[in-house]
Amino acid sequence: MEKYFDVAYIVTSIPLLLPYIEITFWITVIAAFWGTILGLLFAVAKLSPYQVLQKIAAAYTTALRCTPSIVLLFMSYYGIPLVLSIFNISLDAVDKSVFVLIAFSLQFSNNMCEAFRTAYEAVDPGQMEAAYTIGLTQLQAYWHIVFPQALVVALPNIENALISLIKEGALAYTIGLIDLTGKANLIIAGNYNSHALEVYLSLAFIYWMISLGVQKVFYRIAHIFSKGKRLLLS
Amino acid sequence: MLRIKNVHKSFGKNEVLKGIDLSIDKGDVVVILGASGSGKTTLLRCINFLEKADQGKASFGEVDLDLHQAGKKEIQSVRKKLGFVFQNYNLFHNKTALENVTLGLTVGRKMPREMAEEIGRKALNKVGLSDRYDYYPQQLSGGQQQRVGIARAVALNPDIILFDEPTSALDPELIGEVLGVMKKIAREGTTMLVVTHEMSFAQDVANRVIFMDQGVIVEEGSPREIFSNPKEERTKQFLRRILPEYTYTI
Repeated sequence: MEKYFDVAYIVTSIPLLLPYIEITFWITVIAAFWGTILGLLFAVAKLSPYQVLQKIAAAYTTALRCTPSIVLLFMSYYGIPLVLSIFNISLDAVDKSVFVLIAFSLQFSNNMCEAFRTAYEAVDPGQMEAAYTIGLTQLQAYWHIVFPQALVVALPNIENALISLIKEGALAYTIGLIDLTGKANLIIAGNYNSHALEVYLSLAFIYWMISLGVQKVFYRIAHIFSKGKRLLLS
Repeated sequence: MLRIKNVHKSFGKNEVLKGIDLSIDKGDVVVILGASGSGKTTLLRCINFLEKADQGKASFGEVDLDLHQAGKKEIQSVRKKLGFVFQNYNLFHNKTALENVTLGLTVGRKMPREMAEEIGRKALNKVGLSDRYDYYPQQLSGGQQQRVGIARAVALNPDIILFDEPTSALDPELIGEVLGVMKKIAREGTTMLVVTHEMSFAQDVANRVIFMDQGVIVEEGSPREIFSNPKEERTKQFLRRILPEYTYTI
């Protein structure tokens, strides 16, 4: 009789899964790109002196923070085509990945918005004033003084957001996108739903490796930008 | 060199400056005295546009401008004529001592790096930090940080340096080194406007002392006039509180 748990499946499924890292990679990169831009805009809105902008941004972040990723994903997948169909625009030809990207860009932008806002607020206003007194323009002061300091503060939050984006990206399989997790489910289906645990273990292993890589990269970046702050790092 | 007229500033309902007139000539060392909340710091910040005055005129040399309505360009050009030393130093945390001192030259004034660094090193030498060029602010003591702060202002060779309670955040044993540096640059002819609680500095270094109370200038004169022969009752009260020995001279 076949064993319930067979290590061989862990080993054999890894090479089958690996090619699909590419899909997960691009979903992450593109969602992170748009999410960062959106997050920056909303952070600027939150920090702006204009009440209307502040309220819009606050409503946006609150709404997104309170929406589970999978709900957001379904809203994107079912909701956007429905709304656009009212205007007679058909999205039948649009790839599923687009809805995944929209959902995760929004999700990521929310996290980034908060990371940017808190980092900006963590930099002492006196830094900006000092920059003004030595004759720097607002833009020069941001670029040379505020931004590098805020980045160091934001990095751990950005890292968290990125790793959670990679992990949450696994939900994309629920609407039929074949990324890493999607492929794992296909492999399991091919085994007539047996040996699921082994396949998921190899999947977990791959996610661990990716996350470790991300951590390494962020550690490097933090090291480069935390000049004058080494005391806090070590 | 600097004339300001009728400066008003309120924070909400609290009127902090109620019409201040002030003029400073080249080489002057003017000390502003006054209790906390008398508006000294706000006045300094209004001159440098760190606060926007509600009303007031200023002329810097040839340039006349409105302290309330000045545009970005005007503000920028005025700031380039003024140095500022903060109570809590406000050194750039992500820059070394030398970078702190040179940033205003390389970025603000587009000076080539080598030239800026030469000026920066000279400024740091002047404040006695020739062995601390590459230290970050967090690696320096409060007194050393404030001396970098002074070097940062000096390096830009401004017409006037404004000092906002430069020793108030320091431990007593570190105050001396900062006052010493200030004395030194005053002797070299630097024009200075200093808000401080250090009476000895006012007595020894200033050529003019201004006493402020509740948003107005109560009295001004030479240190000798203010300290030995104050005319206004409010000045006398203040000096009695701040200089115990003064009680005996009445």
